Amino acid sequence: MRVVLAGAIATAALTPASAFAVDYMNADQAARLMFPDADRFESRPVVLDADALQTLDAQGVRARSARWPVKLARRGDQTLGYVVSDEVVGKFELISYAVGIGLDGAVRQIEVLSYRESHGGEIRLPAWRRQFVGKTAASTLRVGDDIANISGATLSCTHVTEGVKRIVAVVALAKKTGLFE
Amino acid sequence: MHSTRLLAATSSVLIAASFAFADTAAAQSASESDFSKRLDQLASELAKVKAELAQLQQQQRTAAAAAPAPGTATAAAAAAPAPAPAVPVSTALGSGLLNGPATVLTSYGEINYNRPTNDSKNTVADMRRFVLGYQHRFDEKTKVVTELEVEHAVSSSSDRGEVEVEQAYLERQVARQYAVRAGLFLMPSGLLNENHEPTAFYGVERNFVETAIIPSTWREGGIQIVGTYDNGVTAQAGITTGFDLNKWDATSTEGAQSPLGSIHQELQLANARDLSVFGALNWRGVPGLLLGGSIFTGGATHGQSANSSHVTLWDVHVRYQPGRWDFSGVYARGTISNTPAFNAPLVGSTTLIPKSFDGWYTQAAYKLWSNDQYSLAPFVRWEQFNTARSFADLGAGLTPDAARTERVATIGANFNIGSGIVVKADLQRFRQNPDANRFDLGLGWSF
Amino acid sequence: MAQRRWRLASAMGSAALLAACGGGGTATPAAAPPSAALSAAAALGEKIFRDASLSASGRQSCASCHDPAFGHSPPNALAAQFGGPNLDLQGTRKAPGIRYLAANGPFFFAADGAPTGGFFWDGRARNFAEQATEPFINPFEMANADKAAVVAKIAAASYAADFRTLYGNDVFADVDGAYLRISLAVQQYEREDVDFNAYSSKYDAFLRGAASLSAAETRGLALYNSPTKGNCAGCHPSARGADGSAPLFTDFTYDNLGVPRNPELTRNADPAYFDLGLCQRADFANRGDLCGAFKVPTLRNVALRQAYFHNGRFKTLKDALGFYVQRDTNPAKWYPLDGSGTVVKFDDLPPEYRVNVNTTEVPYNRRLGGVPALSDAEIDDVITFLKTLNDGYAP
Repeated sequence: MRVVLAGAIATAALTPASAFAVDYMNADQAARLMFPDADRFESRPVVLDADALQTLDAQGVRARSARWPVKLARRGDQTLGYVVSDEVVGKFELISYAVGIGLDGAVRQIEVLSYRESHGGEIRLPAWRRQFVGKTAASTLRVGDDIANISGATLSCTHVTEGVKRIVAVVALAKKTGLFE
Repeated sequence: MHSTRLLAATSSVLIAASFAFADTAAAQSASESDFSKRLDQLASELAKVKAELAQLQQQQRTAAAAAPAPGTATAAAAAAPAPAPAVPVSTALGSGLLNGPATVLTSYGEINYNRPTNDSKNTVADMRRFVLGYQHRFDEKTKVVTELEVEHAVSSSSDRGEVEVEQAYLERQVARQYAVRAGLFLMPSGLLNENHEPTAFYGVERNFVETAIIPSTWREGGIQIVGTYDNGVTAQAGITTGFDLNKWDATSTEGAQSPLGSIHQELQLANARDLSVFGALNWRGVPGLLLGGSIFTGGATHGQSANSSHVTLWDVHVRYQPGRWDFSGVYARGTISNTPAFNAPLVGSTTLIPKSFDGWYTQAAYKLWSNDQYSLAPFVRWEQFNTARSFADLGAGLTPDAARTERVATIGANFNIGSGIVVKADLQRFRQNPDANRFDLGLGWSF
Repeated sequence: MAQRRWRLASAMGSAALLAACGGGGTATPAAAPPSAALSAAAALGEKIFRDASLSASGRQSCASCHDPAFGHSPPNALAAQFGGPNLDLQGTRKAPGIRYLAANGPFFFAADGAPTGGFFWDGRARNFAEQATEPFINPFEMANADKAAVVAKIAAASYAADFRTLYGNDVFADVDGAYLRISLAVQQYEREDVDFNAYSSKYDAFLRGAASLSAAETRGLALYNSPTKGNCAGCHPSARGADGSAPLFTDFTYDNLGVPRNPELTRNADPAYFDLGLCQRADFANRGDLCGAFKVPTLRNVALRQAYFHNGRFKTLKDALGFYVQRDTNPAKWYPLDGSGTVVKFDDLPPEYRVNVNTTEVPYNRRLGGVPALSDAEIDDVITFLKTLNDGYAP
């Protein structure tokens, strides 16, 4: 938490004043929340080729994009885990979120970076986000199944859940094919 | 930062100088050509200053992106351009500022088929609703949300459809947890009113408790404040227009079908001398659970009569979605005060003003089957409602009897296609009015 | 207040004119102070309205048959008023009341085909002015030879100078123009004078919350409103409009009630003569479905009237209401018997048009021998309620 505070002040001094509630934190703050022990985050964008996209499709995951900005959480020579930030549409507006995945491929944490919809801000609540902890590429990750819905925000919940599922699958595939070496 | 201030200062000096110069130069007609030459020079200098300012700001932005990891070479991270996903994003890594298109088109539609099982000559197929709306974001804090609805496909003086503005409000985030909405907005009451797209409810037709008692889609004009708290509570409170009891038509049956539906104003040249207040509390602290309630009350006579009357409507609702289940329940009750004074000139007529009306329902749905494209969710619903639970006493022989409570059982299924399309079918059975028993089919979409 | 003085004066004036309707009486109108509220044209219109010299007999003015003391209806129980140069020619229909017609417009067919609007029992006049042009030259009414005669009389009247001041010095030179202005002046009076739209009945006070109805009046109102009992509100609405406007007790449409033939009308001595109402108009001669339909009048001040329906067949409200509810259950009480002792129902219509009579709306949708929609006591209650519709209520 110490790290976050310092980081927050440093960031605020340099970025233009952000909007109020809609922006809760930026990707870097989220990354440091997820991996407080990391001393740096290295960017390792993942580019999926046609075969990879097909594999994902077979798993029932639509990759949506071939290029994914994955950041490796590094401490010295060690990789602690992976952080991916992404945006999905809620009902009408974009939701920015970040997913932190451990070395074992399981979700450690998700954070909502910005939420602008009039309804469904409850996806930011720890209780809802906690549902993702421990999920892997093998998990169902579907609203109304292993992820509970937030009444009145079904689309936001569904799209974020789909996004997390997608990210978990992409990271798992990238690890398996050695893209992070 | 320092350079920025210097640049800003320089440009303002230049601007001030040019104005000062223009002042004195205007008086001298002889040096007009000198004057315009000088102006041109100033203009080009100003343009240069602006360009330098823009460049500096750009450098600041990239510097900020690189700053959070001090002491490490993150040039690679800063230099790597963000990938372009399907949705356009800004270059700042997930900063969320002004992402996405500013204007979003929204729409939903319902096509319904109703076939009374005992009375098939009244079978109807109807383009029940066609709704087009837009949401436009002015800046990160402010947006406008509108919805225009066409009911029953064709609207003209000789057709039965209607065109109406269902929502038109501005929303501005004023603090971390608070937003203000002003304009014509949906009232936070029950489960259906604010979430009434065909993909949001089970069954072809909207349930009776939330159409006959809570007059969905119920909207009023006014201002409200919305507070979203970290414990999962959303609180809303506001001041709006209300109902107009002067519109009560005792010679028609509209008031018996939906008391508040027959006297709502929909911000259509609404009588607004009497305003109403409302509050709503909803808790979603536990994932999959919603508990909430609302209350609305206000004057409904607007000084057009010597007597005054208040309309009050409150509700409690719950929704629980554990795993594949979806349970919900609503109880709503409305009251109108001082009805004897308003019923006195209407004695003997078909539909007098009730003192109270209420209803409740419970519903259970289960996602029986799904794959990544489709899902099938059968459901059952039991509802009871009474649009004239009681009448105030008007004297012996003149006080109408309370209406009989209607009980409706609905069983059916929603079949979802992709994200945003639903095909529905259900059977409804009415205890008091078996002629209304019907089989319904529905097709709907929402985006 | 100027208005109260006005009403008192008009009462005095009409007393003098009462005799004029039936014969005898003064020739000049009683001097009445002009109301400060009326415009110049309306003040002139009032003088014209009360001027009996404008008739061939010299004894009949508009006010003679549209008497302000009787709700601007006739001050007697005649089926039709007598007019003509000697006030001995019987008119064709009962003189209608002319109050509460401000919302009435020209005749038209509503979206559902219902005939609506218009002035006179058959709606043939488009507005007050047009209606005012007819009695002056109707040979059975004020019986002037032609428009020129009327104009000449105005030119000789005591207020001719006011007429010239308002409309120009040479107004009387153009007969048609002057006649038009005469009718416009009368229209202006009928629009502006508060007596025509007083809303001063007990029922109006009750609607405003300033009075309460007695038990009998409330019972009567309930029977009046009930769609299964009297259902009077079906054509004579009693409820305030959604915009708060006071009820006019008419929907300005037409209905065919099959009112019995009235032998009091001398024309009815000829069995081949029928007053067919709407289809008697030249423009509806081929509309057989409209035969027998007459305008629905307002029920405001109905208790001040002494003859009811277009042919003045009934003289009391008790008879009129009794007819409504017993027409079909006990027709022998209301219609004559023919040679073989059978009741001739709807005898004031030729047989081919009797099918037009309204037999579907409550209360005249009962069967022979059935129970009338209102009992005797209930009729009395309704009448008690109807009396609350008289203007000039003072608690």
